[in-house]
Amino acid sequence: MKRILISVFLLPSLALAGEHQMKHDKHHSHDGPENHENHLHKMVDGQEFQLDEERYNKFVADLSTAQIAILSVQGMVCDFCARGIEKTFKKDEGYQNIDVDLSNGKVLIAYDMAVRLDRSDIEKKILSNGQNLVDMQILTIP
Amino acid sequence: MGIRFFILPAILTFALTTALSARPVSYTGGSTVMYFSDELKESVYYHYSPSYRYSLGLEWLKDKVQNKNYAYLRYTHLLNRKNTQTSQRNLYFQSGISSEGIDRNFIGLHGDWETRRLFTSFGLKHVQTDVKDYTEEYIQLGLAPYLGDYGDLHTWILFKAKRNSLTNEWNSYPVLKLFKGNFMVELGYDENDEWDAHLMYRF
Repeated sequence: MKRILISVFLLPSLALAGEHQMKHDKHHSHDGPENHENHLHKMVDGQEFQLDEERYNKFVADLSTAQIAILSVQGMVCDFCARGIEKTFKKDEGYQNIDVDLSNGKVLIAYDMAVRLDRSDIEKKILSNGQNLVDMQILTIP
Repeated sequence: MGIRFFILPAILTFALTTALSARPVSYTGGSTVMYFSDELKESVYYHYSPSYRYSLGLEWLKDKVQNKNYAYLRYTHLLNRKNTQTSQRNLYFQSGISSEGIDRNFIGLHGDWETRRLFTSFGLKHVQTDVKDYTEEYIQLGLAPYLGDYGDLHTWILFKAKRNSLTNEWNSYPVLKLFKGNFMVELGYDENDEWDAHLMYRF
């Protein structure tokens, strides 16, 4: 019985793994941040940073006016470990949207313009999930 | 369709077999339910993490060595963590006191290091019982065959070797680990026709 249950569970999961791999290969010809072909270069306060262009455009597509906190996070190596980040920031006042980019160690969080973003507060929230914030930039969508 | 196809069998498996784990401490305020089964025990374990540094929990288990049921009050502490842009390394202290008495307990260490592509871990545990004390140890090496995005189904193929002092033999076998969202399942099957099954749900 146990084997039947496990087989029932595993077969669709493995099929999905193959499906995700095909989708992933189609959209991304690379694994890491070293490939710059699809990256968007933004300048904030004279400092340049990279974002995945397709990913960024998708993220802002439904936003009208917002400020976006772009976080560089260390230790965000697996989906399962990053779940707490999404759960924590979703509770914030003025929260609009979040995107976790595991490949580049980036988290994008969109807030209402009225919210005052405090780096130390964000740093504490990232740490409460067990990761470290190493950089934070804010973009605005007027 | 895809998500339902994955989650429904997971819930079914979870509900029918009771339930399991990866990280012994969750994020601050996080709860975890696990089911674990191997040749030594079958257990259900719930823990809560007041901080990302430690967790407190209760484990109900069927001890296959002593052939009886009891519970553990468990405490796990993150001793050390090193985050880099591409990796994370952890070392945990684990302990538990049995409902059968304070002299029936266990202590152990668990360590892991992972990148998005590679995973390694080890565990060492000493268990005191009223029949015979024993130790368990294991190592795991794993590879992710593809790198999924956040929210995708993630897959790991692992090699696990474990030993307990009761049989004093190393047993090695492949393990498949899958996770999506808040669900994780880890299954291994060894040459002695024994399943290792771990299921976990984090919330």
